[in-house]
Amino acid sequence: MTVLLQSLISGILIGGVYALIGIGLTIIFGVMRVINFAHGDILMVGMYMTYILFTSLGIDPFVSIVITIPLMFLFGAFLQKLFINRMQGALPQNQILLTIGLGLIMSNTMMLIFTSDYKILSTSYSSESFNVAGISISSPLAISFLITAAITLLLYWFLLKTDTGQAIRATAQDREAAQLMGINVRWMSILAFGIGSALAGTAGALISPTYYIFPQIGGIFTLKAFVITVLGGMGSIVGATLGGVIIGVAESVSAVYISSGWKDVVVFVLFLLVLLFKPAGLMGKSRM
Amino acid sequence: MKPTFALIRTSAGTSPVAIALGVAILAGLFLFPNFVQSPYALHIMILFFLSTIQGEAWNIIGGYTGQYSVGHAAYFGAGAYTTMILMQYKQIPPWYGMLAGIGVALVVSLIIGSICFRLRGPYFVLASIAVAEIMRLSAMNLKDITNGAEGILITEIPVFKIGETIVTDFLSKVPFYYIGLVIALITILVTWMVQNSKLGYYFQAIREDQDAAHSLGISLPIYKNIALALSAIFTSLSGSFYAVYIGFIDPPTVLALDISVQIVLICIIGGIGTIWGPVIGAMVLVPLSEALRSNLIAQMIFKTGLTSEESGIGTFLKENLAHAHALIYGILVVVVILFMPDGILGWVKKLTAKKGRG
Repeated sequence: MTVLLQSLISGILIGGVYALIGIGLTIIFGVMRVINFAHGDILMVGMYMTYILFTSLGIDPFVSIVITIPLMFLFGAFLQKLFINRMQGALPQNQILLTIGLGLIMSNTMMLIFTSDYKILSTSYSSESFNVAGISISSPLAISFLITAAITLLLYWFLLKTDTGQAIRATAQDREAAQLMGINVRWMSILAFGIGSALAGTAGALISPTYYIFPQIGGIFTLKAFVITVLGGMGSIVGATLGGVIIGVAESVSAVYISSGWKDVVVFVLFLLVLLFKPAGLMGKSRM
Repeated sequence: MKPTFALIRTSAGTSPVAIALGVAILAGLFLFPNFVQSPYALHIMILFFLSTIQGEAWNIIGGYTGQYSVGHAAYFGAGAYTTMILMQYKQIPPWYGMLAGIGVALVVSLIIGSICFRLRGPYFVLASIAVAEIMRLSAMNLKDITNGAEGILITEIPVFKIGETIVTDFLSKVPFYYIGLVIALITILVTWMVQNSKLGYYFQAIREDQDAAHSLGISLPIYKNIALALSAIFTSLSGSFYAVYIGFIDPPTVLALDISVQIVLICIIGGIGTIWGPVIGAMVLVPLSEALRSNLIAQMIFKTGLTSEESGIGTFLKENLAHAHALIYGILVVVVILFMPDGILGWVKKLTAKKGRG
C-alpha cells in the first residue's frame, strides 16, 4: 500500500511538470493549429539556460525561472514571427516538418556549443527528500510541483479573466470570427507561441535539478507532450493539465509494478489506445 | 493498364538524348569501382545508394499516397534486427535474413497500418511515431533477443557461394557497392512502375482527396496498406543492407526517431512524390552530412582564412562540428520548407518553366 501511495504521489509531482509542457503545446495548437514538434527542444533550451545561470552566476534553478520565463517567451515569439508565421495556412505536414527542422537546429546548435556530454546541475537539495506519514517525497520535485501549480493557476486566471487571455481563447475557438471582432490574430499567435515556449522553458528549468541535461533530451519530451495533449484533447487546457498528471502517474506506477525500462512503452500504448478509441481525448470536442 | 506497358510508353516518350544520358550514367555507375579504388569514395556512394533506397521507399507512402509516416525507423529496424539476429545467433546467411526481414517488416506494416490508418493528418503522424518508439523501447528491453542497448556486432559474414564457386567474401567495399546499386535501381524501377500503374493513380487519388477517392470506390484501408507494405519492403531491405554493411546495430542507430526524420527529409529536400526527388535529396544530403562528419567543412573554413586551426574558435570548430552533422538536416529542411516547398526538383522545374515562358 505504501509503495502504491509512494508511486502515486511521485507520479502526481512529476505530472505537474508534464502538465506545464502539455499546456504549452496545447495553447500553441489551439491558437495556431500547428503541432509544435520542436516543443521538447524548446524545453531543452530552457534547461541549458538554467544550467548556464546556475554554473556561471550561481543562481538557484528555482529562482532563475524569473529570468528564464521572459527570455523563453521572447525566444518563442521570435521563432513564431520569423518562421512559423510564414507557414500559417500551409499544409499541416509542412508545418510539422518545419518545426522538426527547427528542433534539429536547436539540438544540434546546443551540441555544437556544449558537446553531447551529459551535464548535471547538482544543487545542495538535488537528492534530498522528506517524509510525510512514511512516504518519502523528493524535495526538488515537491518544490517544482508547487511552482508548477502556481504558474498553472496564474495561467488559468490570465486566460479566463483578462482581456488578452479571452482574446487568445477566442482566436483558438474561431480564428476568423475573432478577426472579425477586431482581435489582432497575428499578435495572438505570437503571444500564444511565446507563452507556449515560456511554459516549456519553465518546465525545463524545473526539472533541471533532477534530470541529466544533454542536447538530445528534447525528443523524449516532445513525444511526451503529444501523448499528454492528445490524451487530454488537442487544444484543451484543462485536458492537458489532467493529461499531464495521468501520464505522470501511469509512468511512475508502471515503473514500480512492471519495470522502469517498460514504463515509456506503457505510455505509448496508452497513447495509441486513446487515439483509436477516444481520438478527441478526455476533454476535447471531436475535431477529427 | 499493366505497369510494364506504362513503363514502355513513358520511355518511348522520352527524348533519345535523355535515354543516352541515362545509359551513360548507368554504365558509369556500374564501372565506377573499376576506376575508383578509394574505400572512402565507395563508402560515400554506398551511403548514397542507401539514402536513395530509403527515400524512394518512403516516397511511395508519403509522396504518392500522402500519408506522412514519421515512423519508418520501425521497418528499417525490423530489417536490420531480423537479419542480424538470424546471422549472428542462428548462423543464417544475410541474403536469407534479408528476406526474413522483409517478412517481419510486412507483418509490422500490416499491424501499424490497421491501427494508424484509422487516423488522419497529424494524428497519423503521431501514431506512426508512437509505434516506432514502442519498437525501439522493446528492442532496448528484450535483451534475450536483441542484446538490448549493447547492440549486435557482426563477427563474420559468411562467404557467398553459388554451387562451389565463391562469388564474394565481402572483404572489400566493392560487393556492397554493387548490392546497394542494384537494390537502389530496383527501388527506383518499382516506384516508376507504381507511378504509372492503376495502383499509383489510386495512391495519388487518395493523396489529393481521401474522401473523394473513397466515394469513387477506392478502398482507403486496402490501398493505404498496400502502399505502406511496398514502402516497408524496401525500407526493410535498406535496413538489412545497412546492418550487414556497417556490421553493428543498436536501438539508437536503427530504430530512433532521428532515422525516421532523416528518411522523410531525403524526400522533402529532393522533391516529394517524384521519381528523382529522393535521388536528388540523397545526392545533396549524403555529401553534406559526410563533409561535416569528417570535418571537411571545418578544414574549408580554415583554408578560407576566416579563422586558423590553432585559434580558440578553430579548435572548437574542429572538435565539435563533426558531432553536429545533423545540423545541416535542420537548416536544409527549414530553408526548403520555407522557400521551396516542392523540394529542389520542384524549385528547379519552376525556374525552368518561368524561363521557358519568357
